[in-house]
Amino acid sequence: MSDEITIWEQPVSRRGFVAGATAAALAAAGLGRLGGDAFAATGAANAGGTLFYYNWAQYVNPKTYAAFEKATGIKVKKGFYDSNETLHAKLKGGARGYDLVCPTGYMTKVLIAEKRLQALDWSQLKNVTKNVDPKFHNTADDPKSTYSVVKDWGTTGFMYRTDKIKERPTSWKEFVALTKKYSKTVMVDSSPEVVGSIATMLGYSYNTDNQEELDEVKKVLLDLKPHIVALHSSNYDTLIAKGKAWMGLGWNGDGLALAAKVPAQYVVAKEGGEIWIDYYNIPEGASNPDAAHAWIDFVYQPKINGLETSYTYYGSPLKRSLLKGTAAGKLLTDKVVFPPAATVKKLETNQVTAKGTRLRERIWTEFKAS
Amino acid sequence: MTGRRLLGGYAVLAYVFLYAPIAVVVVFAFNGGRDVLYWQGFSTKWFETALRTPEITNALKLSILIALGNAIVACVLGTMLALALPRMRPWIRTPIDALAYMTLVTPEIVFAIAALVFFVQAGNRLGIDSPLGWHTILIAHVVFNASVVALVVRARFVSMGQQLEEASFDLGAGPLSTFRQVTLPRLAPAILAGGLLAFTFSFDDFITSFFVTGTESETLPIYIWGQLRFGVTPAINATAAMMLAFTLVVVVVAYLVLRRSGQERDGATLPGV
Amino acid sequence: MASTEAEATEHRRGDTRAGAGGPRYPGWLALPAVTWYLLFFLVPLGFIAVTSFGEVVGFSDVAYTWTLDNYRYLWDDFFGDFHLYRDIYFETFKLSVIGTLSTLVIGFPLAYYIARYAKHKTLLLLLVIVPFWTSFLIRAYAWLIILDPEFPVFRALGISGFVESHELLFTPKAVYIGVAYNYLPLMVLPLYAALERIDWSLVEAAQDLGDPPWRAFRRITLPLALPGVLAGSLLVFIPLTGEYIIPVILGGNKTFYAGNLIAQQFLESRDWPLGSALAMVVIGALTIALLVYARALGRQEQHS
Repeated sequence: MSDEITIWEQPVSRRGFVAGATAAALAAAGLGRLGGDAFAATGAANAGGTLFYYNWAQYVNPKTYAAFEKATGIKVKKGFYDSNETLHAKLKGGARGYDLVCPTGYMTKVLIAEKRLQALDWSQLKNVTKNVDPKFHNTADDPKSTYSVVKDWGTTGFMYRTDKIKERPTSWKEFVALTKKYSKTVMVDSSPEVVGSIATMLGYSYNTDNQEELDEVKKVLLDLKPHIVALHSSNYDTLIAKGKAWMGLGWNGDGLALAAKVPAQYVVAKEGGEIWIDYYNIPEGASNPDAAHAWIDFVYQPKINGLETSYTYYGSPLKRSLLKGTAAGKLLTDKVVFPPAATVKKLETNQVTAKGTRLRERIWTEFKAS
Repeated sequence: MTGRRLLGGYAVLAYVFLYAPIAVVVVFAFNGGRDVLYWQGFSTKWFETALRTPEITNALKLSILIALGNAIVACVLGTMLALALPRMRPWIRTPIDALAYMTLVTPEIVFAIAALVFFVQAGNRLGIDSPLGWHTILIAHVVFNASVVALVVRARFVSMGQQLEEASFDLGAGPLSTFRQVTLPRLAPAILAGGLLAFTFSFDDFITSFFVTGTESETLPIYIWGQLRFGVTPAINATAAMMLAFTLVVVVVAYLVLRRSGQERDGATLPGV
Repeated sequence: MASTEAEATEHRRGDTRAGAGGPRYPGWLALPAVTWYLLFFLVPLGFIAVTSFGEVVGFSDVAYTWTLDNYRYLWDDFFGDFHLYRDIYFETFKLSVIGTLSTLVIGFPLAYYIARYAKHKTLLLLLVIVPFWTSFLIRAYAWLIILDPEFPVFRALGISGFVESHELLFTPKAVYIGVAYNYLPLMVLPLYAALERIDWSLVEAAQDLGDPPWRAFRRITLPLALPGVLAGSLLVFIPLTGEYIIPVILGGNKTFYAGNLIAQQFLESRDWPLGSALAMVVIGALTIALLVYARALGRQEQHS
């Protein structure tokens, strides 16, 4: 069984803009060494034209845009959304013209079910076929990879300032206890992550939609509410860096970015958590799907993918051996970016049903309104 | 007279309150470092960055143009509405009132999504391939802002009494010349106030704009929101500072021009009117 | 076009009785705005209304089954034991009221000063609005900095500890400050528009005749300012009911208001029918309230 699919609604922060700043130097060094010609044109049918890339902000290494334009002659126009939900609402409302989008796994599933995505033309994706790690191909979200190619993946856990709290928690139970003790916790503003994580703490599945189990989760959450400082998906880690909070429930990329700034540690909790995946998808109504294919295939070259990973701090879907010697080489041994198989086994992917989503959102409403 | 001085002092405080965050934005636009909370030396590099980023300059231009167009349309529609409403018979007036009010009370997210669906459906039926763009943003903004202008203008129109208008009509003047010669001069401050509000609402609008925009049009708030989830970057502060400088200049120039052309109406109201 | 004597005597100052005889601006002037509303507002709204009678199917699809389930769900919530949504609406109402009052209290003296005493009225008025031509998001984030105990000014003044103990950041207090700040021009402008046309010589005359300032204010200024107060209050109160960005940024996103609730249905829960029903309730309630206000205004217009 492969470990995929993600969740969450406001991923923006995990794109780690601070990671970007520190990694920009890496990227610059990497790219300078390579030179533009090293990137072979990827057999795109369109030498020219425009790609409208609708994406999270700061989720792509700026150098990659330039390299892509140089190698293929396709200009990249960028638009940004701030959550899977707004992307969905726009596509559902009928907006067209986006060539490439990057939804998180659960949203990809929704879009596939609602027939809002185009089937991929795998003849244009030779690099992907060659380089992808089999774990990240034919995932549970899209078993035949009809519509999707993995962009990156990560985990959900918690992080804490090692200089502010003397404990070294490794489980959700401890996280909850310390939240009550210090009242300096932030969390991502996303019900699947928070509800799911607490569910694993109680011994249930991350994806449960059992009413009784969820009621227990709700009790824990309502208990915790007075001790929460803020709920922000995009700058919760900044708050920890500034000392306004000492602990946070969030994503591994942010945890790593945080540890780069202040003494901190990111932990995948013992009881479990989530492993998520973000995909490249081409929506119905794309004006230039060939350009989208070109981009995906381009980014699956090891050197480029290394650049991306070193910028976002999120796991690469390529075979790890290919990444040696790229800008991401140093990160290969980082347990936060590339957690070991034993850690990954504890994690579940987001497979919450529609009903489960609404139950979670209802809990979230109560939680926030309390 | 102490009342006057007290109020004057209060006004100063009020302006400090109004401009405190602005001062913060401007000061940190000159911050050499990236972190907005800690000063890291004086630098103008972020202004350069902002000006050299086409996304920013295009978004700014688009926002201004849409806001301006929207203000003009909203003022025309809203003023006409405000003139016609007060003396209409209740059975016509009440539904129109209700309609105008509804545009103001509808939660923005709801209207945004509904408008998106509408434009797309309408586009489909009319055979337009990509119906969304800056024009749909403008149309959607006017829906709200016409009501704003109507509200402000009507409050003034109603309270200033219509003797002069009636006299003018009695003397045989048509609506247009009555408006030009009698009503407009007295309504001008209210129309201006309404227009300014309409401009501001449009310029600052995010939710509606986000949903009904096409792939080609990105307004400044949409751009900022896309970046802002990471925190305020100094380039954004620099953009705001430039926008501020620009508007201050425009305002002062417009003010001087207006004064010169003798349209300053400081304290010049007719008694009983 | 000449009016009869009888009609002439009916034309008192401020007489706006609906349908009152006599020349006035033609009703067809309303046509452009009404057409705009019908086409670009009512039709989209119709879509929402229809959706509110539907059911959510699968992830986000809507089956138009003409069911009252969504409204029943809301009814049960409002009048039942477990009134989650009712509490949220109440909190929203509270926020709107406090916001309106605070902008009124802060804005009235300012508008008064500009209208009565200031030498460069238009300029000062424009200066009130100019800050609001920077992005509202940026201003909200700027407040985050100002309310932060680590704010350089506080540090320089050595009062960081004092500020910290008052816990402004990520609390309801911060939200109220942010709201008062962001909605101030909406109150000031209509207030000014009403105050500007007051003949201050009347007020001065009353004072010369022995009235203390506050009585002159109450008898002369206040009634004339009232339409402006009402207009401003509306302009603040109504959008405030849909406000949710300021609580997110300044309040730590720990509170849930009606705006959040409705947005959540459309975005995270992807339950468009329930979201539509919630929206219709808000729209309906506020429209009725506004119509009541309008009749009160109409009656007030007749008595002025």
